[in-house]
Amino acid sequence: MSTRVDDDLWSAVGDPTRRRMIDRLLAEGSGTATSLSEQLPVTRQAVAKHLAVLDKAGLVHGAAAGRERRYRVDEAQLARAVAQLNAVGSAWDSRLDRIKRIAETIQRTGEPDTETERTEKE
Amino acid sequence: MNEEFGTIEREIRIDAAPEVVFQVVSDPEHVKDWWPDEAQYEPVPGKAGRIGFREADGTVQWEQFTVVDADPPRMFAFRWTHAEGEEAAKGNSFLVTFELEPVGAGTLLRMTETGFRERGWTEAVIAEEYAAHVRGWDFFVPRLPAAAAKAAR
Repeated sequence: MSTRVDDDLWSAVGDPTRRRMIDRLLAEGSGTATSLSEQLPVTRQAVAKHLAVLDKAGLVHGAAAGRERRYRVDEAQLARAVAQLNAVGSAWDSRLDRIKRIAETIQRTGEPDTETERTEKE
Repeated sequence: MNEEFGTIEREIRIDAAPEVVFQVVSDPEHVKDWWPDEAQYEPVPGKAGRIGFREADGTVQWEQFTVVDADPPRMFAFRWTHAEGEEAAKGNSFLVTFELEPVGAGTLLRMTETGFRERGWTEAVIAEEYAAHVRGWDFFVPRLPAAAAKAAR
C-alpha cells in the first residue's frame, strides 16, 4: 500500500547517517556495507541495518556482488522524497513572505487593524 | 546547521517592531491574512481552537489548533492537525514555533515546524494540501544537492 511506502520514505531520510550514506552512494555511484563503513564513522553492521531501511523505503536497490550486496540509489524515489519535502517548505516561504508584508504595512501606515487587535486581546 | 528532514526551519528579517510582528503571527484576525481562511482560537496557551481552509466548492476543511506558548513579543507556538477531541501533543500534531528577536528597529523572525518525522510522510503531505496557497517557490533541501540536481534533469 502506498501509504506505507510514504511513511517509510519519510523516516528513512529523517536520519542523518542514512543521508550521509545516500550522499556517498550518489558520489560513488554504488557501494557495499563494507565500502560505506570505511567512509563513515559507523560499523559495517550498523551500515547494513541502515541499508535495509533505505532498501525498504525504495531509496536504494541492492544486487548480489560476490559475497556482498552492492547498492545504488533509486534516483526517481529520491527525487520524489525531495520534491515532497520541498512542497512543505515552500508553503512556509510564502506564508513568511506574507507575514513580512503585513507587518511592514502596519508599521508604515500606523496599525490599521488596531481596533481589531484590541478587541481580540480583551 | 543541523536541519533535519523532519523539521522545517526558516528565518526572515522584517522591518517592523517585534510587537507588530507578534500580533501578525498570533492574532487570529491577522493569521487569516497570511494562512487559513478561518481562525477560531484565543491566543492563550492551552486553549483549543481550530483553523479552516475553504475548499473550491465552498466547504471549509477544519484543522484543530492549540496555542502551546505565548510570550509577547518574543515567542508564539502552537500545535495543529491533531484529531478533534484529542489533546495536542508530540506525535499527534505539528508544532510550529515563532521566535522574535529585535534587530535595530526591526525583527528577525524564526519559524520552525516539527513533527513530520514522528507522524510520517503521508500526513505531512495531506496537511500541506490543505495549507498551501502558493507553490513553486525557490527552495532547496540542504545536504542532498546531488539529488536535487538529478531531480531537475
